Amino acid sequence: MSSVLERVIRVTASVLRLDPGDIKPEQRFAVDLGAESVQSIELVAMFEEEFGIEMDEDEALAVESVGAAAEYITKVCQTQGVHV
Amino acid sequence: MTSANSAGRRKDHPFTDATEPNLLDDVFDYNLPPKIRFDGPLVEYIDGQPVQFDPRQVKSRDIFITDTTFRDGQQARPPYSIEQMVHLYDLLAKLGGPRGVIRQTEFFLYTKNDRETLDRCRALGHPFPECTGWIRADKGDFRLVREAGLKETGLLTSSSDYHIFNKLKFKSHRQCMDAYCEVVAAAFEANVRPRCHLEDVTRADWNGFVLPFVDRLMRMSEQVPPELSVKVRICDTMGFGLHFPGTELPRSVPKIIYKLNQECGVPSERLEWHGHNDFHRVHANGTTAWLYGCDALNATLFGFGERTGNPPLEGAIIDYISLKEDLCGIRTEVITEIADYMRSIHLPIPDNYPLVGRHFNTTRAGIHAGGLRQDERIYNIFDTTLLLNRPPRVNLTDKSGADGVAHWINEFFGLKGDERINKIKCHKVARWVMDQYEVHGRETSISDEELEAKVRELMPEYWEKYAPR
Repeated sequence: MSSVLERVIRVTASVLRLDPGDIKPEQRFAVDLGAESVQSIELVAMFEEEFGIEMDEDEALAVESVGAAAEYITKVCQTQGVHV
Repeated sequence: MTSANSAGRRKDHPFTDATEPNLLDDVFDYNLPPKIRFDGPLVEYIDGQPVQFDPRQVKSRDIFITDTTFRDGQQARPPYSIEQMVHLYDLLAKLGGPRGVIRQTEFFLYTKNDRETLDRCRALGHPFPECTGWIRADKGDFRLVREAGLKETGLLTSSSDYHIFNKLKFKSHRQCMDAYCEVVAAAFEANVRPRCHLEDVTRADWNGFVLPFVDRLMRMSEQVPPELSVKVRICDTMGFGLHFPGTELPRSVPKIIYKLNQECGVPSERLEWHGHNDFHRVHANGTTAWLYGCDALNATLFGFGERTGNPPLEGAIIDYISLKEDLCGIRTEVITEIADYMRSIHLPIPDNYPLVGRHFNTTRAGIHAGGLRQDERIYNIFDTTLLLNRPPRVNLTDKSGADGVAHWINEFFGLKGDERINKIKCHKVARWVMDQYEVHGRETSISDEELEAKVRELMPEYWEKYAPR
């Protein structure tokens, strides 16, 4: 079973149309991966769908990097009783 | 008296940190148009001497609005039908409320249709606006006023030499003044109050004609019962009037009001300002006239009037409330009703026209839409939903962002507070909007109809739950 980080990278690659192998945990969505405003919203929406969770809009959009997204999603999954 | 460039006026402004916003909501009370407050007198130099005016008195004075939509307003467009005028009169009565903030409206009296309109408006039984007439300065025309049973009529007493000599061909000021006064005397004789329209007064010879003429009108008024005494309409026919303090006669609104009110002794309640918008000053000039002692502001719906138009009545209504700090019985939502009616009879109102244009409270920028989403007061002038039945809106383009899309969807569904849908849930519609521009090269904004169809297609679960039935 894939880890949270692997799943985050897969979703990010799909939304931003990148090669998953080129995405590193320390990379920032906007600055390093080129995510535009609407793509940031799409990323959050796709993460919610992938993990079956609801995220706080402001908190989720404040997350800057791929690794930080994996950590935030892990925390939300725990809070909402979603096994990952 | 100190001047603005005096030395030694620097002072420190100590900083005190705040952790709570200071929204100044005493002045910017969201339930009213922003209040107009004064913190001192206005000073005007008149004949070399400083004269103080206290603008705060306007709060207790009985200032009011008079309407000329059916006279000056109608000179700028094809004639209204009788039904249209009667309906608009009814709406004016609703808007102005029982205290008569819209106190009077004037009608032509020359045709059968003019007289039928007048009769049908009066048959509605509204105490306000009172119907008055408008005639040329022709003694024979008083027969029309008498037959119509009106108590007051406006009459042309053009005051500039452009009119006196070049248009009306009088040989002298005296000949002109005698002719005007004969008509005024005929009005008294007919038991009709004359309202002398000093046409082109902001381009007139004040010492040579205007002041002696108004002095004479006041002397004549002393000989008749108070209800017949002359009213004076100050007509800024070409929009030359200036509201700034310190300007010269004949263009200075403050000096014009002062001279007529204080030197000629025309009481405030018998002074009326009638402006034109040739230099974009029409609304400011009208409110200024109120502040300096003229009680009546003559206006037309949406400023429609000869050439560039007159003071917009709806703007006067908003300033009235802002000065009084109270609705005073005014039903502001009727402004929207009147605008909708005007559009239905093919009267064009520009989309960006204040208070009633289709987009007057519509924002296009995503960053503004984001502000609206957080707190609508950030980008809305007052509670336009409450006062004008017009919620703030966003018009979507490539600059609107997901914030704009989310705001549009929430407004469309009428969702408030916790029910509002966050922008994450609107991402498919936001993507569609962006693709219109980035992929398809669109150059126009997205219409409401297109968005409605897309919300239905891309957010079916919300459509099912919230769509208007």
